[in-house]
Amino acid sequence: MSLLRRYIVPRIIQWLIVIFVGVTVAFLVPRFTPTDPVQTTLMRVTAYGAINPEAVAKLEEILKDLYGLRGSLFQQYVRFWKHLLRGDLGPSLTMFPTPVIEVIRNSLPWTAGLLIISTIIGWTIGIIIGTFTTYFSGRKWTQILDTILMCIYPIPYYIMALVLVILFAYVLPVFPLVGGVGIGLKLSFSWTFVGSVLKHGFLPALSLIIIGLGYRVLSQKALVSTVVASDYVTYAEAAALPRRKILFQYVMRNTLLPQITDLALSLGLVFSGALITEYVFSYPGIGQVLYTAILQGDFNLMMGITLFSIVGIATAALIIDLLYPLFDPRVRYR
Amino acid sequence: MAVVKVEKLKAYYVTGIYGVKRTIKAIEDLSLEINKNEILGIAGESGCGKTTLTKVLFGMIKPPLTVLGGKVVYNLGDGNADILSMPSDQLTKLRWKEVSYIPQGSMSVLNPVRRIKKTFQDFIGTHRRMEKKEDFEILVRNYLRDLGLPLGVLASYPHQLSGGMRQRVTVALATILKPRIIFADEPSTALDVVVQRGVIQLLKRIQKEQKSTLVLVTHDMAVHANIADRIAIMYAGKIIEEAKTSVIFKGSLHPYTKYLIDSLPRIGDKGYRVSVPGTPPQLSSPPKGCRFHPRCPNTREMCKEKVPLLVDVGDGHKVACSCISDEKI
Repeated sequence: MSLLRRYIVPRIIQWLIVIFVGVTVAFLVPRFTPTDPVQTTLMRVTAYGAINPEAVAKLEEILKDLYGLRGSLFQQYVRFWKHLLRGDLGPSLTMFPTPVIEVIRNSLPWTAGLLIISTIIGWTIGIIIGTFTTYFSGRKWTQILDTILMCIYPIPYYIMALVLVILFAYVLPVFPLVGGVGIGLKLSFSWTFVGSVLKHGFLPALSLIIIGLGYRVLSQKALVSTVVASDYVTYAEAAALPRRKILFQYVMRNTLLPQITDLALSLGLVFSGALITEYVFSYPGIGQVLYTAILQGDFNLMMGITLFSIVGIATAALIIDLLYPLFDPRVRYR
Repeated sequence: MAVVKVEKLKAYYVTGIYGVKRTIKAIEDLSLEINKNEILGIAGESGCGKTTLTKVLFGMIKPPLTVLGGKVVYNLGDGNADILSMPSDQLTKLRWKEVSYIPQGSMSVLNPVRRIKKTFQDFIGTHRRMEKKEDFEILVRNYLRDLGLPLGVLASYPHQLSGGMRQRVTVALATILKPRIIFADEPSTALDVVVQRGVIQLLKRIQKEQKSTLVLVTHDMAVHANIADRIAIMYAGKIIEEAKTSVIFKGSLHPYTKYLIDSLPRIGDKGYRVSVPGTPPQLSSPPKGCRFHPRCPNTREMCKEKVPLLVDVGDGHKVACSCISDEKI
């Protein structure tokens, strides 16, 4: 299989290298910051009264062990990889002894679910609106749509989010104010659970879709306006091909490549969370967890989230790379 | 018999920015007859309205191009029809089956993400209902084989073909439904002379075999000399001379045509080639009277005022020059 050897394998190797370098940098950076999590914890413990210095020294040793901070930087690094390959990201330093992986497991699905779904919906709607309003520009409905979008586009996200919360959770209490699912509901595939998740996720998703729409439509408009003026579209129009065919196969199809790149990259960003969304809608998610981790010098947790982020983005890039030839015949394996 | 008859056609490009209107008088009061089964060459320098004329002749009128007056009448055997006043769906029905178009810059007229076969399918499927997929396959394969094109192109994407091959594919695409009139706008420009010859001969062959009418627009006089039966010379949005090819090359009357022919290199003649003095006029504000008068070597007072009419000086040779029509009449 020359396709496999020539095209897929090099890209997978590249993907591994990217992850390796990324993880290494993510390992080093916190260790060069002045925050020392061991000292922070010790301070927290000793703040309530004097403790026997021997006990303090012993505690320090234990903490270093637990936090994986014993030995030289290189020893720490080797140990880190050993643990990582076993899927062990260590305990969270602030939520000790909960393992990092569990903290992430509890928060990531919320964010990922919300962001992936809203990004894909927003992307699809944005591309369709952008294509139609540009191709049929000059008609009444496209002008109205354009104006609405231009008004929404400059609104800061947190204001939009707050307005949605006030309108639909407070003034008209259609949607719940807090949380990702109704309180007390256990994870199950029952209608009540899924319905509750959808109901809780609706407003945050809506806010993300609306705010992402402006950008998507504008970029699509720019792409479409060049394609519409291209020779092949003009020629297809001269030959009176059906409108639908021109619109989808000739115009939209040719604008899709950069949009797919952009979609994959925004999906890769899902793992760093959406802090404002999570705060405004009190949505349980990875953004808030990351924020707290940074504030409190929780190395392991930061590391864990960063790791997911690195793998997410690198994988997104890998997938685009592998799928490109399907979308654009001009991209062929070297 | 005229297949296409153009009467007093007037087509401008009208644009407006910030309320300031700008008009480019691309075609002014142009009349022309295109005969059945002939190859009519339309020549002229860049920006003289050749492409605009083809677009209007083909009925491809999109803003800012605006037709302000005149008629373009097709006579396709079932009576005359003015395409400028025809409803658009009726015009659509004529496309490809009766009239076809080979565009300028054919390098990029094929959809880059669609296989050639799919493009053929799109174009044919729009205008002819195919009962079975095999019928379509047979039609395309036979036609390409007739034209001497390799069948391998069907499975390719446009970027995998050479410029000349892409051009030939476009020619095949435009003529596969055997239209009666073909408008070709600079079909051989941007190709080297060897490939150019192939494309031109292909066009000529198609015209002969299908007994169609070919309107060939190009600034390349060599191409015209090779295949055109008649040539119409355009200058600043008007036709200034129209005659059989041999007459244009050997006995042209209009001073502009003379300059044009004299500027062509001849084998053995190493003399200096004189070009037309001055520059082409701005079509947003063309000169009054005869549009060529500022550059004409024998301008008279009347040329600055009177617009010369296209007059037949015998044997279908028409000239629009006051000096000549005065002498002859």
